[in-house]
Amino acid sequence: MSGLMEPVLSLSDVSFRHSITDSNSWKPWATRDGPGIHSIDLEIYSGKILGIIGPNGAGKTTLLRVISGLFKHEGKISKLSPQRRKIIGHMPEQVRWEGGSSVEETLRMFGLMHGVKEVDSILKTVGLTGKKDTPLDNLSQGMRQRLSLAVALLGQPKILVMDEPLNGLDPLAQRALSNLLGQLAKKGVAVIISSHQVAELANLVDRIALLHHGQLLAEGPLEAVKKSLGLKGEKADLVELICAATGLDPDEISLDLAEDSMLPFKRLEVEEE
Amino acid sequence: MNSTLALAGMIMRDRLKAGRMMVIWPLLAMFIIFSSWGLSDPKANLPVSLTIDSAYDVMYASTAFIIFSATLGAVLISFDGISRDRITGVLELKLSQPMQRSKQAYSMIIGHSLAIIIPVTALNFLAVLIIGYRLNEFPSLFEYLTYTISTALLLLWYTSIQLLASSYAKDMGSSIAVGLGVWMTFTLLWLIMTTVVAGLMGISVTDLNSDEYIRIEAIIDLFSPNGVYHHLLEMNLDGFERKISPIIPVLAAIIWSIIPVELFRKKIEKMTP
Repeated sequence: MSGLMEPVLSLSDVSFRHSITDSNSWKPWATRDGPGIHSIDLEIYSGKILGIIGPNGAGKTTLLRVISGLFKHEGKISKLSPQRRKIIGHMPEQVRWEGGSSVEETLRMFGLMHGVKEVDSILKTVGLTGKKDTPLDNLSQGMRQRLSLAVALLGQPKILVMDEPLNGLDPLAQRALSNLLGQLAKKGVAVIISSHQVAELANLVDRIALLHHGQLLAEGPLEAVKKSLGLKGEKADLVELICAATGLDPDEISLDLAEDSMLPFKRLEVEEE
Repeated sequence: MNSTLALAGMIMRDRLKAGRMMVIWPLLAMFIIFSSWGLSDPKANLPVSLTIDSAYDVMYASTAFIIFSATLGAVLISFDGISRDRITGVLELKLSQPMQRSKQAYSMIIGHSLAIIIPVTALNFLAVLIIGYRLNEFPSLFEYLTYTISTALLLLWYTSIQLLASSYAKDMGSSIAVGLGVWMTFTLLWLIMTTVVAGLMGISVTDLNSDEYIRIEAIIDLFSPNGVYHHLLEMNLDGFERKISPIIPVLAAIIWSIIPVELFRKKIEKMTP
């Protein structure tokens, strides 16, 4: 892939550990390193949709926040945080919009923070024109997701970072969002989208990045990743992918897996055709 | 600067439209309007050794009610200024915007402060009209401006302290606990604190009119927003001697206007969702 085009953003050996309360210390303010992401190498390309796939606690949200310039990380990202914030539209998972302000007022407020005055076209893109005077308190979950997407689209971002955006959307809205992301990618926007469902992203993404315990296990087109892992079935779910990549036995998976320690997994070399 | 003020204006309008204003408006109206009506009654018998000879004396006496109501209003408006956004996920969106974090911080302080300063200033103006009607005497322009600016500063100090506390709070419960705790310390407990400190320093607390006690009280008041507020207002009162140089309260007011605001700015610059 790197031989074909220049990445719009590249991550090299990027790590971040959350600080969590140290319950073993007598000091109430003592912290220790918690879960995070470890030594991530990733390249983001214009016009391509990258799916970050991993179980709960894999580090998907952390990775997306690092990319969006919200966490101070170790390692190198090709653009500094303030530069990234200008070209990245960030959509967090499930924003609970509250208050008496209207949809339009809220979008204008974020537009001001982005240096954007015109918001009508974005309201139209996300299908909120008819709801622009509706107070935030009266929005349904799907409408809230659309407003979060509208905020992320402000300023025509070069990279769109979306944390589990399909959650809470009905199948029709999911399809509409998939169509919109496809259109944005055709216009040259790099889209990064996270999910813990492979099937959800299978028809949407160009490439997947398989994340587990903060480490990138494999990255490439879904078919190539499956082939490299020796998975032959047409459908491969997350469990199959993780187990094939780590050597875990599916029958021995327990909730104990969700621990803070970083397991030394080896990244799989994916051969692309 | 324009974007900072424009964003502050939007935050102010959002706060003014919040449901809690339904509680704050009547509270402020009752305390400010009724106190000016009652205190400007020539037959008023004040429980403290304060003689009312002029319109400014009435305004000074009514600050006891301002300290109870307006500062509580500042707490109620801004106690969740950050913590609510953190809980709902809106903070993540705000922090990912390209607008400089310092500008965002100043906007929040200006917006939240104005949301309480504007109602209080409007009611104070009405109060001055009431005093003029009852006493047939108005304060001088200098007295009115001193009173208005000092009250605005007091509310700015409370707002910046509350926003700072809110930026550290992890949930709404701790946010309101810190907010009310700070308010109670400065409003209700400060006299006890002053007495204890004076006692520890070997100053007799049985005679509260002794030069030693008045001086130590004046110094300890510099560490409280309410104390500095009274220091500023007392500069216009005849026969009020606090045994410290008049420049010191002015310096204290400047310090109170800078330190919490700058601490909040630094906190926002380093903040993670």
